[in-house]
Amino acid sequence: MCENCDCSSDIQKNSIYLPEIATLVNKKEMTSVDSFFEFELKGRSLGHLPGQFLEISIPGIGEAPISISSPPSDENKFEMVIRNVGSVTNAIHSLNKGENIGVRGPFGTSFPMNNLKGKNLLFVTGGIGLVPARSAILYALENRDDYKDITILFGCKDPSQRLFTDEIEEWKNRKDITFIETVDQKGDCDWDGNTGVITTLLPMVKMDPAETYAIVVGPPVMYKYVIMSLHDMDFSDKRIIVSLERRMKCGVGKCGHCQMDNIYVCQDGAVFYYDEIKHLKEAI
Amino acid sequence: MEILKISKNDLNSFIDKKIEEKKERVIGVVKKGSHFVFGDLEDSQDLSLDYDVTMLPPKKYFQPQKEILLKFTPKKADSYEALNNCDPLVIIGAHYYDLAAIYMMDRAFSEGERDEHYMRKREESLLIGLYPTKYFKYRFAKSVVRDQAYKVADLMMVDLGDDYVIEVVSQKGKEYLNGSNIKENTYSLQEIDDAKNRVKDDQKIPVPIELIPDYLGKNHAHPAWEHFGEKCFSCGSCVLVCPTCYCFDVRDEIELDLAEGKRIRVWDGCMLEDFAVCADGHNFRKEKGSRFRHRIYRKGKHLPEKYNYFGCVGCGRCQYSCSADIAGPVKVIKYMEENKKGGENV
Repeated sequence: MCENCDCSSDIQKNSIYLPEIATLVNKKEMTSVDSFFEFELKGRSLGHLPGQFLEISIPGIGEAPISISSPPSDENKFEMVIRNVGSVTNAIHSLNKGENIGVRGPFGTSFPMNNLKGKNLLFVTGGIGLVPARSAILYALENRDDYKDITILFGCKDPSQRLFTDEIEEWKNRKDITFIETVDQKGDCDWDGNTGVITTLLPMVKMDPAETYAIVVGPPVMYKYVIMSLHDMDFSDKRIIVSLERRMKCGVGKCGHCQMDNIYVCQDGAVFYYDEIKHLKEAI
Repeated sequence: MEILKISKNDLNSFIDKKIEEKKERVIGVVKKGSHFVFGDLEDSQDLSLDYDVTMLPPKKYFQPQKEILLKFTPKKADSYEALNNCDPLVIIGAHYYDLAAIYMMDRAFSEGERDEHYMRKREESLLIGLYPTKYFKYRFAKSVVRDQAYKVADLMMVDLGDDYVIEVVSQKGKEYLNGSNIKENTYSLQEIDDAKNRVKDDQKIPVPIELIPDYLGKNHAHPAWEHFGEKCFSCGSCVLVCPTCYCFDVRDEIELDLAEGKRIRVWDGCMLEDFAVCADGHNFRKEKGSRFRHRIYRKGKHLPEKYNYFGCVGCGRCQYSCSADIAGPVKVIKYMEENKKGGENV
């Protein structure tokens, strides 16, 4: 593009906006709007940590930030569950196996799995909050001996919105973890499980708050109420870990969309100890 | 710092020579109707250095309103190719506060993840700054700018009547003057200083800028945000004319023949209603007052805490461009000062 200089090779090498390529290798419908995708990155393993995200793009449609749902792996493959809510996610839903996407990342902070060793883990997940949390859940299950008791709470709007239903059955049957779920409303579905919002499950949890980390991931409206309930259970703010959602465009702390007070959620988060961000007026 | 001088006639001849040579784009301040803008010079006679303010700051040369980041074949992810346009350019006559803003932009795009698209354009640029010669009623730069201009300028010009005194800030700037009829300076430092300060600012930020980050932190619930939010049209003019605003959106465009597309970066702004809307529709800054507060916080708290410099350079463009007449930081801080409850920050 430059008339007087030869910068094209430099920018090709150094642009932070140039995606790598990943190929769709597996796809499965989960709900009417959510589907599971497995991608294979060309030439390398992703090298991500639990809780990080990628900028996924379809050329001509655009780019969107998407959480990684699989735990770290040496293989080139990674998993995502994507809700069809916009033009980019709609285009991803239309992909066939063998087709390619653009990938930038991984970006952001991760669930501090090393710091949590030797403690109980309480996952409190709402809706598609289970998607990023699953990367940490599977990591903890792969390294089960590193953690004490593990409890997973999952809540969604109605039974048709449940994610990872096969895995949930496995988790329910495991003796070494506790899995409890609820739906806000039963609706027209055949459902004999718990009904009520996610906070109704917390009284069922019998974990020593001094020996437990709560990992909270869900829609924006959920955090305030879950954190209030955790406080009632005597969880300190240092024992609560949250992953926050924000609009993101660049993933590299420039575009300004994800800014929350003085923090760029794409780089300083999306995973935070609640203690670090509770003073921020725009956080929760 | 070496100080030289050049007569205004010699400067014009020199600029014409540079335009003729076509080694780089020669950009300067030109008159457009009753306003001034930065534009490509075809003749030194077009240069209007005796100006109050330009409509847009020179940041458009480093972060263009619409900038191609990538090109591709639609739906073929293996076709992505990064692009940049960093043809060399010189900017003549940017006021010192606009250079201070470029310093802020340089920090934002170079620190952390280095943005090569911006930085290469900056590296291929030469900045010739100028002390203002004309009053602008909304300007308050003297109360907010410190030494930033000299961190990015290659040359600084001071108007001394028939001559410009040239302060040589960088080696690159000195080399650029080769071939000009530049002379030894004959003006006293006092004369130069007087000329730099000849144009006064009527406006001044009423709280010392060092105190503003804390001041704003204590005033998150001040009625000012609702007061100004109610009047705001959310048009985004204030952020689009701001020299230190660099927020952007990234979009894909496809040519009509559907054979080629490009990923573009366009200016965006936190005052626009959907700036913080997530995919699920949740707007993290739904209220106009919260957006108004965010913009003032970004200039007065967040950027100073990150870069140790006040995030507003006092150009006055936001106040000038605001239909509701509310955008200027001086106006906002004055209102906050005048509306303290019981002498305390609320």
